[in-house]
Amino acid sequence: MNSKAVIAWVVKIAFWALIVLFFWWTISNNMFSQLLENPDQFFGLLGRHLQIVLISSTLALLTAVPAGILLTRPKYRKYEWLLVNTANLGQTIPSIAILALAMGFLGIGIQAAILALYVYSLLPILQNTIAGLKSVNPSAKDAALGMGMTPKQILWKIELPMAASSMIAGIRTAIVLNIGTTALAYLIGGGGLGVWIFTGIQLFDNTYLISGAVPVTLLAVSVDQLFRLLQFFLVPKGIRLAQKAAIQSA
Amino acid sequence: MIEFKNVSKVYPGDIKAIDDVSITVEHGEFVVLLGPSGCGKTTLLRMVNQLEELTEGEIAVEGNNIQELNKFEMRRNIGYVIQSNGLFPNMTIEDNVMVVPSMLGWTKEEKAERFAYLMNLIGMPPEQYGESFPHELSGGQQQRIGVARALAADPPVMLMDEPFGALDPIIRSRIQEEFLEIQRSLKKTILFVSHDIDEAIKLADKIVLLKDGKVQQFDKPAELLNQPANEFVAEFVGEDSVLKSLSLYTVKDLLEGAPPTEGAAPDASDAIFEETASLRSVLSALLTPSQKNVWLKNNEGRIFGPVSAAQIESFVHRMTVTA
Ligand SMILES: Nc1ncnc2c1ncn2[C@@H]1O[C@H](COP(=O)(O)OP(=O)(O)O)[C@@H](O)[C@H]1O
Ligand SMILES: [Mg+2]
Repeated sequence: MNSKAVIAWVVKIAFWALIVLFFWWTISNNMFSQLLENPDQFFGLLGRHLQIVLISSTLALLTAVPAGILLTRPKYRKYEWLLVNTANLGQTIPSIAILALAMGFLGIGIQAAILALYVYSLLPILQNTIAGLKSVNPSAKDAALGMGMTPKQILWKIELPMAASSMIAGIRTAIVLNIGTTALAYLIGGGGLGVWIFTGIQLFDNTYLISGAVPVTLLAVSVDQLFRLLQFFLVPKGIRLAQKAAIQSA
Repeated sequence: MIEFKNVSKVYPGDIKAIDDVSITVEHGEFVVLLGPSGCGKTTLLRMVNQLEELTEGEIAVEGNNIQELNKFEMRRNIGYVIQSNGLFPNMTIEDNVMVVPSMLGWTKEEKAERFAYLMNLIGMPPEQYGESFPHELSGGQQQRIGVARALAADPPVMLMDEPFGALDPIIRSRIQEEFLEIQRSLKKTILFVSHDIDEAIKLADKIVLLKDGKVQQFDKPAELLNQPANEFVAEFVGEDSVLKSLSLYTVKDLLEGAPPTEGAAPDASDAIFEETASLRSVLSALLTPSQKNVWLKNNEGRIFGPVSAAQIESFVHRMTVTA
């Protein structure tokens, strides 16, 4: 084993030790009491949290993926900078400001939260869709066209499979960020687990804080893992093996 | 058959890439488009399968005006090979090779049979490589697969854009020979782009030499070398055109023309060339200081020689006069 691998192991073990320590500390101090004593309220908040995440990121997915595909077609390539820059703007404005703006449009409540998180999720998906499609080897596309594939066939059989890895990574990033940011929905009356987190902060009460923050974190981590699994199944074997071989030879 | 009639191509920005080209590639003929970089070889080739639009003129493939055909259907009927192979990394070798037959709706059995035939043709066992992915193959193997893929649906016409250009010289030379062997049995109509005159001489039945989009000479390799049509052609074929023309002839040609005397037994350190060896390699051996004697062997195993450089010289003189 080389020193790099040893360091990686040490870091990993230290990380897991910290986590175990953290849970031991929270549980032994009964910090999950809110969750355990008010399960109904917890599931209500969790459900609302998931609702916001699911609706906003599904809408973002349904907008950004087709937009990314469209913007890499020869006909629409000239509009790429415009849309990417607009989406970029959405990302540079602090999430709280977007929430405030959305509230200005839709008033307080879940709709405003969904709108804000939708805007916030667009960029990572759009960017990675475009990057993935742009990374497709031009000679593969040229060969495909020369062999008589239609643009539609080239998109489905060559471009999307080859871009899948990057696209899924973008969607994963967007949703994981979304789960965390949804905690802010509380600020504009959108509900979700942010309710307990902010109550905990305001009252200086760890039982609220931990009962809200830990489930949000676990949710984000498990969705992240789920998407890694999805990546394994959706990225074609040839691409996966080629990426692995490229990493090993580097 | 491919016919070009007064074909011109102007790119946006008033770049005249092809200027009034009229040539015919006959059925079963191997024609090489030759010329310096930027002279329009790729453009001319890509106009045949409508990857580039014609500005003026007409192109007919197998007697059909291409502009009256469905673009996608006509391309499936033309083999296309490019320099950087363009294999699809997400597909297995078998799926790569069978792209066109799949589009044409072949059955599984038809495809499996054709795949096995093609892989044996290019000397790569189907059972060993069928499930591999492109990145697992060497550059030479990838290019062989590129050729097999273009041959998949047995198209009558093949377009090849510097297909062996990115390979190292030893592999390139071997693949050129393999491909010539394949072409001898399949007799495709081939339009092949190259910037390498040695490659063109080795492969072509006829060469189209281009400069600034204009045809300078359209001729057999021997004629191009021995009777250059103008100053540019003479310069392009170079001062060693006689040496180059030696690649056109084999030991067999020499034995049929003016055979050296038969007999004698070669030493162990002597070189013996078979009928298929080019005269260029024979002369090269003769000029090698450490080489003792050089002998020629015909297909019946009879030995002729030792051959001299003077004998090759007189043979070449005779050929260039009659060419
Ligand atoms: N898509 C294009 N747009 C504009 N000019 C081009 C394009 N493709 C090629 N050209 C120009 O046309 C000329 C011929 O190019 P090409 O056919 O690629 O030459 P070759 O294959 O002989 O190197 C060159 O001057 C090149 O710059
Ligand atoms: Mg070229």
